[in-house]
Amino acid sequence: MHLGFGVLLGAWIVLPLIPLMLWFVAGQWRAPDILPGTYSAQGLIELFSPQIQSATATSAALGTSVALVATPLGLLAALAIRRLPRTHSRFVEVVLLTPLAIPPFALVMGANVLLLRIYTPSFSAVVLVLAVAALPYTTFMFRSALASYDDRFEEVARTLGANARQTLAHVRLPLLAAATARAAFLAFLVGWGDYIATLLIGGGQLRTLPLILGSAAAGSGNEQLTAALSLAVIGPPLVLLAALSAPRLRERIRR
Amino acid sequence: MTLEPSRPEAPQRLRLLSSALLAALVLSSCAAAGSNSGSDPGREFADFGEVLEEADGQTVDLWMYGGDEQGNAYVDETLVPAAEEFGVTLRRVPVANTPDALNRVLNELQAGREDGSVDLVWVNGANFSTGRQAEAWRCNWTGLLPNMAYTDPNDPLLTTDFGTPVDGCEAAWHNAQFTYFYNSETLPEPPTSLEGILDWAEANPGRFTYPAPPDFTGSVFLREVMLSTAGGADEVPLTYSEEAFDNHAPAALDALSDLAPSLWREGNTYPRDEQALNSLFADGEVDIAMTYGPARLTELVASGALPDSTKVLTLDEGSVGNASFLAIPVNAADAAGAMTVANLALSPEQQSAKADPGVWGQFTVLDMDRLDSDQQSLFTQLPESPVVPSYEELSRNAHAELGADWVTELDDAWRRSVATAP
Repeated sequence: MHLGFGVLLGAWIVLPLIPLMLWFVAGQWRAPDILPGTYSAQGLIELFSPQIQSATATSAALGTSVALVATPLGLLAALAIRRLPRTHSRFVEVVLLTPLAIPPFALVMGANVLLLRIYTPSFSAVVLVLAVAALPYTTFMFRSALASYDDRFEEVARTLGANARQTLAHVRLPLLAAATARAAFLAFLVGWGDYIATLLIGGGQLRTLPLILGSAAAGSGNEQLTAALSLAVIGPPLVLLAALSAPRLRERIRR
Repeated sequence: MTLEPSRPEAPQRLRLLSSALLAALVLSSCAAAGSNSGSDPGREFADFGEVLEEADGQTVDLWMYGGDEQGNAYVDETLVPAAEEFGVTLRRVPVANTPDALNRVLNELQAGREDGSVDLVWVNGANFSTGRQAEAWRCNWTGLLPNMAYTDPNDPLLTTDFGTPVDGCEAAWHNAQFTYFYNSETLPEPPTSLEGILDWAEANPGRFTYPAPPDFTGSVFLREVMLSTAGGADEVPLTYSEEAFDNHAPAALDALSDLAPSLWREGNTYPRDEQALNSLFADGEVDIAMTYGPARLTELVASGALPDSTKVLTLDEGSVGNASFLAIPVNAADAAGAMTVANLALSPEQQSAKADPGVWGQFTVLDMDRLDSDQQSLFTQLPESPVVPSYEELSRNAHAELGADWVTELDDAWRRSVATAP
């Protein structure tokens, strides 16, 4: 039963990627052919064009910046919520969730005029807006980690003579490391895959992968380039995810 | 079980963390600052010499639809190096939809910013008229451009843009002609008029469809059907009025409602845009398709995106034509640079390079009679496209676009009466 659902779920995730992989290597592919008529390496060549490489770097910089801002803020928010009386903390949680409920376009259009009025440089403005969008994810990652966090570990360390800094470095941070990595990964994804804020708030100064992907997908005959760009957007987060989960997998196997 | 969480060292740690965050933000601001090289965006210029002087060293952001690989390549490989000779750095900002560019400009204007990040926009039609209503475009500047002398000042395509007077608020870039194309393998003897196309579609159920308005291409097709059912382009006034609408729209909507059951998938659904129609055509599901960008057909056939048997269908009564333009937002930070690029784009050298079907295939806006023989030969020696006929042939009997108000009214009426019909 469980296995059956697992297989279905796996298929649901992997199946849409198969046509994408095929378009990536297809020279020509017309319905009703099941497989491409001709194959070409043009997609692969496009991936290494300077345009796509610099867009990848910009996307990575944007994702990293969003993660750098939203992860610590999420930790602070989660710590603050934990300290509040329950009635207050519920309210704060709802407020922190609102960015998920507001359509991104509305958020962007509303924030843009304000950010322009106070002369925020485009890169920082995009990071700021996306950090708000990423905050619900990071906050709730830390919320769930802190829910099962036992303060007595820190107290034991203090009793054994550790000072505040040592407790932070050797007890708290290692215990929250996995949650931090997960939160940072989600925040990175928000910046890495964003289109609308990058375009409208970035004012065309930021040429990220999704921007190039969006404009390529808007035209006829760009299927191969579009597939190559889609893979360029999907690939790096998958590698990151694998890198994040590898140590834990190894640990589980060792046990 | 949770223990009392308040600890004395916590606030200090919070403060440390917040100052680190602030530092990160400041750092990223510094990294991004300093991209605007312009000065005094509202400045008026006495002559083109002043423009060139100010343009030297500016960076021009050209916002344009980025879904056309040939267009992207032309700008990056031909126009950018040419602009460099004037000391202008041209940056192409690819957008999926032109309204994105206009939205950015309107946001900046609302915020009172006079150092706008959009310097030049490839635009026409509704986006141009929306921008004019919002006073978002700089006007009366095209008269400064020396290369405007190569265009015909009375060319109706260049003096009004979908019924909106151009008034020097945008400089012409290309001419386009609405074009039907067919698969000569499955349709050896195509119809030669729009009425003929509709009759043929009725006789061959499932082999024809059009993108659903308000898609750009579908919306043009709808207007063309109205002109056809009205008995010709001369019968319908260019300016929208309720009276004219009531006189002419019902016949077209009825014709399309009657045709719907004979369309692809019995008219229960329509392709969402030109791109979707192109895939139906390439996959052999329909025999006729249409585009406002015939320039692209050569490349689409050469790359195999459309079949080799694709041929252009020129109709006896002609089709609608328009021009597209380069406009400068009123708050552009690098307006002088933008004018320099607009002038450059109008030069016979750039216009002929762009007209090469192997480069982009966009039809020139220049008037051949105003060019000297050397300049004319730039155009006559261009290779011919194996798919697209010359502009003279394609634009025979061409008519102008109806006013922009027609567009929204007709699209709405189509949605109410044709799309929802049982």
